[in-house]
Amino acid sequence: MNTVGYTAIVLQVGAVVAGAPLLTGLMRQTRARLEGRAGAGVLQPWRDVRKLLRKEPITPVGTGPAFRWAPPLLVATSLVLAVLVPLISTDTPVRGRADLIVVVSLLALGTLALALAGLDTGTAFGGMGASREMAIAALVEPTILMAVFALSIPAGSTNLPVIVAGAADQPARLTSPAGLLAIAALAVAVLAESGRLPVDNPATHLELTMVHEAMTLEYAGPDLALVEFGAQLRLTVLLGLLASLFAPWGIATGASLAAVLLALLLAVLKVAVLGMALAAAEVFWAKLRLFRVPELLAGSFLLALLAVTASYFLGGEGGQ
Amino acid sequence: MSLIPAALATATGLGVAGAAAGLVLPQRVRGAVVGVLTAGVGVAGGASGVAALGGSRWSAEVPGLLPLAGTHFAVDALSGLFMAVAGAVVAAVAVYGVGYVAGHGAHGLGSRGAQAVLPLFALSLLLVPAAASVSTFLLLWELMALTSLLLVLAEHRARPAVREAAVWYAVMTHLGLVLLLAGFMVYAAQAGGETFAALRSGSGAMSPAVRGLVFVLTAVAFSSKAGLVPLHAWLPRAHPEAPSAVSALMSAAMVNLGVYGLVRVGFDLLGGGPAWWWLLAMAMGGLSAVYGILQAAMASDLKRLLAYSTSENMGLVVLGVGAAGLFDHAGNKALAGLALAAALLHVVNHSAFKALLFCAAGSVLRATGERNLDLLGGLRARMPLTTGLFALGALGAVALPPGNGFISEWLLLQSMIHGLAVPGVTTAIVLPVAVAVIALSSGLAAAVFVKALGVGFFARPRAEGAAAARESPLLMLAGMGLLAALCAALALVPGLLGDGLDRAVEAVGYPGTRPVSGGGLQVRLDEVSAVLSPLWVVATLTVALGAVTATVRWAGRRRQRRTRARLWDCGGGAPTPRMAYTATSFAEPLQRVFDDVLAPEQDVDVTPVRESAYLVERVKFRNRVPDRIEHRLYRPVLDFLAAAGQSARRLAGGSVHAYLGYGFFGLVTLLVVLVVGW
Amino acid sequence: MSESLFTQLLDLACGAFLLAAVVVLWRRELAAIVRLFALQGLALAAIALLLGLHEDRWDLIVVAAGIGALRAGLLPYLIRRALATLVTDRAQGQDQAAYTHSEEVRETQPLVNVAASLLTAAALTLLAYAVARPLVELDPTPATRALPVGLAVVLIGFFVLVTRRRALAQVVGFLLLDNGITATAFLAASGVPLIVELGVSFDVLLAVLVLQLLTVRVREAFGTTDIDDLRELHD
Repeated sequence: MNTVGYTAIVLQVGAVVAGAPLLTGLMRQTRARLEGRAGAGVLQPWRDVRKLLRKEPITPVGTGPAFRWAPPLLVATSLVLAVLVPLISTDTPVRGRADLIVVVSLLALGTLALALAGLDTGTAFGGMGASREMAIAALVEPTILMAVFALSIPAGSTNLPVIVAGAADQPARLTSPAGLLAIAALAVAVLAESGRLPVDNPATHLELTMVHEAMTLEYAGPDLALVEFGAQLRLTVLLGLLASLFAPWGIATGASLAAVLLALLLAVLKVAVLGMALAAAEVFWAKLRLFRVPELLAGSFLLALLAVTASYFLGGEGGQ
Repeated sequence: MSLIPAALATATGLGVAGAAAGLVLPQRVRGAVVGVLTAGVGVAGGASGVAALGGSRWSAEVPGLLPLAGTHFAVDALSGLFMAVAGAVVAAVAVYGVGYVAGHGAHGLGSRGAQAVLPLFALSLLLVPAAASVSTFLLLWELMALTSLLLVLAEHRARPAVREAAVWYAVMTHLGLVLLLAGFMVYAAQAGGETFAALRSGSGAMSPAVRGLVFVLTAVAFSSKAGLVPLHAWLPRAHPEAPSAVSALMSAAMVNLGVYGLVRVGFDLLGGGPAWWWLLAMAMGGLSAVYGILQAAMASDLKRLLAYSTSENMGLVVLGVGAAGLFDHAGNKALAGLALAAALLHVVNHSAFKALLFCAAGSVLRATGERNLDLLGGLRARMPLTTGLFALGALGAVALPPGNGFISEWLLLQSMIHGLAVPGVTTAIVLPVAVAVIALSSGLAAAVFVKALGVGFFARPRAEGAAAARESPLLMLAGMGLLAALCAALALVPGLLGDGLDRAVEAVGYPGTRPVSGGGLQVRLDEVSAVLSPLWVVATLTVALGAVTATVRWAGRRRQRRTRARLWDCGGGAPTPRMAYTATSFAEPLQRVFDDVLAPEQDVDVTPVRESAYLVERVKFRNRVPDRIEHRLYRPVLDFLAAAGQSARRLAGGSVHAYLGYGFFGLVTLLVVLVVGW
Repeated sequence: MSESLFTQLLDLACGAFLLAAVVVLWRRELAAIVRLFALQGLALAAIALLLGLHEDRWDLIVVAAGIGALRAGLLPYLIRRALATLVTDRAQGQDQAAYTHSEEVRETQPLVNVAASLLTAAALTLLAYAVARPLVELDPTPATRALPVGLAVVLIGFFVLVTRRRALAQVVGFLLLDNGITATAFLAASGVPLIVELGVSFDVLLAVLVLQLLTVRVREAFGTTDIDDLRELHD
């Protein structure tokens, strides 16, 4: 049992928890500046969470345990992900358990809990959001698993630390066509999974377009805080995952505290840059019509499939 | 060593006693006695299965039981796996059935005939895997088909639809039997013996064409029993119309035997085969997986949804079986063993959660009289335990952690992903497609079961039946509780299966890869290991959940009770249940996405007001998603048969002399042919 | 240039080449499709250039420059001009200006919808890999190993030709097909002789000019470039 490994996990979870609202704040601030507004400041999401947590908890009439337990479950799955995903070190005590398929499934579990909560309210909006979310989730699943497949070929394993450590050792894997295609595919899937533009607009409350917000319309007070916080955690973990997979430089692979601390700094930087880039891109993107989303996902699926075939046929490493 | 024959004899005795009890006992005690005896059949059969999984083997010949051939039995670990599954399902469902029958009185499943047949059906489920000769196998297979047909018919007085379903089932199951008979006859004639041992030793000397013919004939027959597309048409009819306890038995134990047959004949008797066999199997499996779950996503009938989901899961299993054959053909025995283990584990998991789901659906049907999800809702407040049990089953079915279905699908995915190590263009093209199929079907399964649970059980009741629902009686809950415990055990400690799974894989000649050793699942191939420890995932999730709730409680400084508030209603008065999303509306986005595949039929009738064409009085919208494969494939055949039947009617003029003449003419022709031909 | 760097760059160029063809199926705006085609021309030129540098053949490098100029410069320019003609004509006509504008410059309703097209492209790529496998095994060098990419682009180009309605999208489909053939030639045999390549290039140029002219005429005659309307000529 290595102390450094445990320290890395604690640091990582702490950074994700503290940083998730900050990341959202940073993205909103970037967007505001690009649109010529002053913005509310990077700390605003934290203030929102604090404010909401102090309000009285409210249960809408006619809702049941699914509605009540979905927000904590959403946050819990995200927290488990924050433990599993190797953001700063590949040499942690949980490295054997950080399977990419498990990570994807835990994400889906959070989505599913929220969809059930949406249906539990029995309102038209809740059902609408749940229905749309599940339709998208059903299509994201093959895309994301195909990307997983593509990533696992060069490493010969679906184990995340193995993939990340392998990529850190051989950067050539990333610049190969297979690697690039997999990056593109996974990036699209991450956008869909985290409910960002162009799949869903996190800032909209228009019934024609909203997906995630429709499911959570009935939440208030601490529950709402958890829902928002959970969504922020997911986004942070997903961007972190993307950063670890495709820019693994600096992630600690040994048991050295200094390397872990440096990796922490770098991870924060990488995620912040990714977040700002996403926010900047969102300024220029429009939301896709709901029924255009399958096209986007089919495209992403195709990229992932090409990545699989390319790594098998072009590359000498994993295939042959 | 002697446990297996003793247990099987006990099971047979209990089964026959149950049938007799069903016939003679008065209605008051019939259900209970038959239920107990059937449960005994399950326990005894399951015990022999577990013993076989534990490593014991048994084979015997009972010459006197059948004329000419005699009967042969042999139990190895592969049979043991299917017997153990069937036994567990039978035992739990029998307990459930006692409660189920109690309310119905002497109708439906409680009737004299149905109660007499039920133990025999249970017995046949347990004995089919033990058969070790063609005649024994076919006899038990037919017993299973006939008893299940009678049980499907149990409620025919209540609903006319039952009869139609039973006709479909009877025709398809017997077509399957004919194919099976043909396949086995060719096989036995070529191998020079009808015991499985003779078939096994004779298969090596057969020509590839004959082997291929045998495989195709038997595989098609077995796939029809397993409910694979395109021979699935009986499944979404018979399963919903049968009494729910019977649906559970059929869906969780009977369809498995199709897989058993495929594995037994394909791997054990024929000893593997060329790649195209297994590509055929994978194609059928993949098609069933996607098509089945798509139809389930469109279904509003709760039991029909579950039936299509069975088709999907069997498709996944056969996909794994096909992959195993493909790996074996490529010479990689370890991977073949892994894929087969994954497929078999999925059989076990599917049986556990599907039996639970069908039982829970039966409880709903009993309490509300309604299977249509559009008219359900609000059951979580009225039937909390049933809802919880259904949720547990659904968790298994969506293949997400911490459900039990996730473990086997994970293993299946791992075997496919590592399968790329097998060289060859075929694997390089087939495996990515297979991974996509598994992923798409598990993604859609999530939508399907969110629909079933969220629309069917949550929110508020949308019809009177659902509003008046009451919790099921204790025995039904107990039966479901057993199944739920099984699901939970499989989800948390798959290691409980221990070496049984390995022995089942070894029984058909592959090295066991020990995928479920201890609490963690391991995949070890050429220094690659993948680990999944379900218990750890559940424990961490629980800890995280506790931490989150504790933090929220701590952060909300003033200890406040939760206050209740109205739902947001746009200021227009409380939303009525009619505003809630129904199963149909929930499925609409997916229906639009898969428009080209499903080809839904939509009519809009606009009735204008008499005075003006521009004022609409009434708009009627009808949306139906027909089973397209069935339409395209079966309709022409049925039409042709109907036309042929019409023309054949001319032969039947009504004259008795003509009928007798046909018989006489036939006999004479036959004799002439014999004289001339020989 | 080291062997591994060459392989890496070649794979990258081939990846971009294939990707451009795939994204053509994805996008609806004709302008974007033309841009992608230009990008693909660049990737093709890069393939030729890499092969030339690797094998020290000056004629290949010259061909690469020629391909770059023609396929990334001239042809896209010509198509873009045709597009501009369509748009300005319509704007001058002023009849339902905005609506038909969007109709003419977008592939609004391909015969096979976009998601299905993308999945078909996936299947076609797999087919190309399967078909090219025996060829690759004859002489497994980095270049021949990328052979399926050329074949896949040929198939995708054909698919675009079959399923797109707008005449200009079809022109692009035809050019994709030709790009695919050229790429296959380069990857399989390090290119055809210079004179043949020149001939082919002029052929393509001529074909595009004719098609461009035809497109404008078709639109003048029928008021649209939806080539399904050509069915009227049948009667």
